[in-house]
Amino acid sequence: MSQNDYYGGGGGGGGFLQGGSPYSQMGSPGSGQQRSEAASSLRPINSFQYRKAEQPHNDAPWVLDGFEVGLVTMVGHLVSMHLQTTNHVYTLEDGLGRVEARHWVGSSTNAEQEMEKWGDIKEGIYVRLTGFLKSFGGKKYINATYMRPVTDFSEIDFHFLECITVTLTLERGPHYNFGTGQQQNATGVKSSSAYQLDNSMDIRDEYSHLPPLEQQIIRYLISQDQKDGVHVANIARAIGKSDEDADKLSTAMDSLMDNGHLFNTIDDCHFAVSR
Amino acid sequence: MAENISPRVNSARLANFVGKPIRLPCKVLSVSGPNIIVEASDGGNVTIVPVAGADSPECTYCEIIGTVSDPTTIKMMACINLGNNLDLKLTNDTIEMMFDSRFERMFGLSS
Repeated sequence: MSQNDYYGGGGGGGGFLQGGSPYSQMGSPGSGQQRSEAASSLRPINSFQYRKAEQPHNDAPWVLDGFEVGLVTMVGHLVSMHLQTTNHVYTLEDGLGRVEARHWVGSSTNAEQEMEKWGDIKEGIYVRLTGFLKSFGGKKYINATYMRPVTDFSEIDFHFLECITVTLTLERGPHYNFGTGQQQNATGVKSSSAYQLDNSMDIRDEYSHLPPLEQQIIRYLISQDQKDGVHVANIARAIGKSDEDADKLSTAMDSLMDNGHLFNTIDDCHFAVSR
Repeated sequence: MAENISPRVNSARLANFVGKPIRLPCKVLSVSGPNIIVEASDGGNVTIVPVAGADSPECTYCEIIGTVSDPTTIKMMACINLGNNLDLKLTNDTIEMMFDSRFERMFGLSS
């Protein structure tokens, strides 16, 4: 097992990660199944992304474009609502498709609270919805935990723009190092949370602007401090990428070479940082 | 699955959606008989023809849901009130971003 695996995240993790560190809360005995950070993070999505989201199997976390999705939030036009005894069914549209949301009605003891929270919701208005993705009988829906009418209508535009921002931040890593965008967990699905600190990305230097993978490579090479360079296989092992990511690794290496950050040493397989 | 898709558009994009459902965020300019004249987010004027029974806008800004009859006319099925205070320029910029081919994978739209 490589050093990185020990610390829980293939993302070049630091000791603060909750995943696999024996000293973290999650590692304590009896904590049962591990919950990833992404499971409790909030992702803005639109109807198109809702359609794209998949669940590999019944107990697996939902995945959108390779990133684990926990809570989702969206803004949409409430087309119809059906109030049934046990649950309310809402149909939302945002111009890109249709989303079904359900809200399970609790016991009658909190009926008043429920009324207060959900009473403003009516057909034909824009609403903000937050909930978990669920599927039942092959049908996808959002298990709504929260819904409110949109009152400042710039929120509609804000929501679509936020979808772009969050998707790009996950794909490319944060612009400034306010956290990390990408972590690889055991199932190969990248979990994502803005609250997760990743030490390797928390350094501000001349490499901070590089994509996360390229930063990992550079930082690993710096940490090795080998005059003769490090073999590419060692880099691959340290980064903790699986075989199918070999292409990504080689693209990243090429890009680093092209930009003059790396150079070959004793042969074509050994690399060192140029600085 | 292309059901229930009614993209938000501005007046310049109406020509690409003739016969199709769209949403047009706009400012109400005047009412002439049954028809409503509105200004789309990019500043173009559009004539709205309501179908019988459709709600009429109650606010300065609204979102018209309807099908495009021709590039300057929309048959309105429904309308959502968007209040009396809205930055239509922001709405227009958002619409253009959503149709940007770089973001097609997020919205499924392309220009």
